[in-house]
Amino acid sequence: MSTPELIHTEPAPVAAILSLPTAAPVIEVAHLHKAYGNTVAVEDVSFAVHGGEIFGILGRNGAGKTTTVECITGLRAPDRGEISVLGLDPRHDGSELHERVGVQLQHSALPDLITVREAVELYASFYREPADGRELLATLGLAEVEHQRYKGLSGGQKQRLSIVLALIGQPEIAVLDELTTGLDPEARRDTWRLVEQVRDRGVTIVLVTHLMQEAERLCDRVALIDHGRVIALDRPAALAATVSASKRLRLRTVDPVPDELFWHLPGVSGVEHHGDELVVAGSGDLLSAVVLALHHAGLRAEDIRPETASLEDAFLALTDETTHDTTNAETQR
Amino acid sequence: MSTLAFPQTPRQRRAFAKLVSTEIKLTIRRPRGLIVSLGVPFVLLVIFGSIPATTQPSAKLGGISFFNLYVPTLLLFVLIAVGLVVLPQQLATYRQQGVLRRMSTTPVPPAWLLAAQMTVALGMAALGIVVLLGAGAGAYGLTLPHSVSGYLVFLLALVLTAVATLGLGLCVAALASSPQVAAGISGVMFYLLAFFSGLYVPLQEIHSQLITTISKVLPTGVGYTAVQTAFAGHSPGAEPLLVLAAWAVVCSALAARLFRWE
Repeated sequence: MSTPELIHTEPAPVAAILSLPTAAPVIEVAHLHKAYGNTVAVEDVSFAVHGGEIFGILGRNGAGKTTTVECITGLRAPDRGEISVLGLDPRHDGSELHERVGVQLQHSALPDLITVREAVELYASFYREPADGRELLATLGLAEVEHQRYKGLSGGQKQRLSIVLALIGQPEIAVLDELTTGLDPEARRDTWRLVEQVRDRGVTIVLVTHLMQEAERLCDRVALIDHGRVIALDRPAALAATVSASKRLRLRTVDPVPDELFWHLPGVSGVEHHGDELVVAGSGDLLSAVVLALHHAGLRAEDIRPETASLEDAFLALTDETTHDTTNAETQR
Repeated sequence: MSTLAFPQTPRQRRAFAKLVSTEIKLTIRRPRGLIVSLGVPFVLLVIFGSIPATTQPSAKLGGISFFNLYVPTLLLFVLIAVGLVVLPQQLATYRQQGVLRRMSTTPVPPAWLLAAQMTVALGMAALGIVVLLGAGAGAYGLTLPHSVSGYLVFLLALVLTAVATLGLGLCVAALASSPQVAAGISGVMFYLLAFFSGLYVPLQEIHSQLITTISKVLPTGVGYTAVQTAFAGHSPGAEPLLVLAAWAVVCSALAARLFRWE
């Protein structure tokens, strides 16, 4: 379901688009398969990530996203399939890979009593050419809490510190798993800006998320993963466009409108009530047709909003959760 | 368990030194472990040292004072408190919090963190033992080994006991699913092992065939025998040292097999 809060498709950053055709893949995954006992976490996943892009791995909880990145970062050995990261094999070149790939993982943390500064200095000592820890802390707005203990940090500060630690080794690739889970909307938006800044430094970013809004806002390209398979891979806007051949209009009228009024209109494929809103789905010049019909009937609309299909619509359509939301299913037709 | 690549290059050694120094700071910040493993035996040393009767040589104890027999028990207290209580607790907490998992995404393997913690644990134990021996000899007339070879045998007995108890602690950390479970297991084991180190009743006072047999098998039982005899300037013989070495090897190998990073 689209929410009013949802940011609709924005054009992908020009730089990213320009760099796409020329940039060589920095991560290549081919036919990755991983099962835990009888449970198949990843059935068959293939994709390539290009240098300099923000690549989204999007899917529901349990779709196989985390297992996929764990295989990419060498934390798990795949059962089948080929993975190449910066030309390295994560299974065999672990320590070289970890020099060049910064990772921020779900459910991983620091000792309660370590201070921000100590954590940064400790992690800096792990890398060949660490970044300037103080500068990173300042960039991420943690300079004033550098002497605070990890336990006392807010969720947003912990998350920002985990980004600092993912970047402290000056990685070429940063893998960020469910970066903004548990953050309030404001902290989330701040974190998004940070991710864009990191990309602007030339770091390729693999962003794992179950939030459509996040993927839509940040990612140059998105792989949709469902039941352990990549079901679509494209720019968010392009994915949304695949399901937006039909359009929807949301309108509110002063007086009740009989549904029949719209049925005979050219291009209209469905009419629905959503609370006090009326949703007309169809194609062609839907707006003019609907406004004219209302006018002829002597009715006045308070508010008419054309609705663009979002990545979320695409996601729902592609993961065929048709029972979940009938209007989206209609949009798909 | 991931491969234990030891720090080789200067940079790796710096990273390891940083891990150790960070662990030392963290250990000082959570003083409970220090109080249990170093504070309690020190207080016991002061109490027993201050009772005149305990520091007098006793004919019943073969001409040695009770105090002289009890100090090895306190040394073992330090070892089992550090190895069996402090270390597994810390490791289980780190695993639950995802600290080990986080480290496994860096060029430094999480095994180094484990090694750093064991280094700090051994350092703590050494500090505790030196303080007990120093205070005992300085303030309460404790008789120390007379010869260099006496010290060497004493040191060997201590080191073997330390490795055996640390190995046991690592097994606890490997098997415990959470810090709470670790605390439960180490609690029970601590009292059992402390009993056989003579903490509650001197082992010389117990005339039970069963207890004697068990004490010849458990690491603190043999540990006490080895440390106490060496401390008194005699050779403990090969048997207790071999039993300790067996505990050290078996527990370390088992822990290495069972340990999980997450």
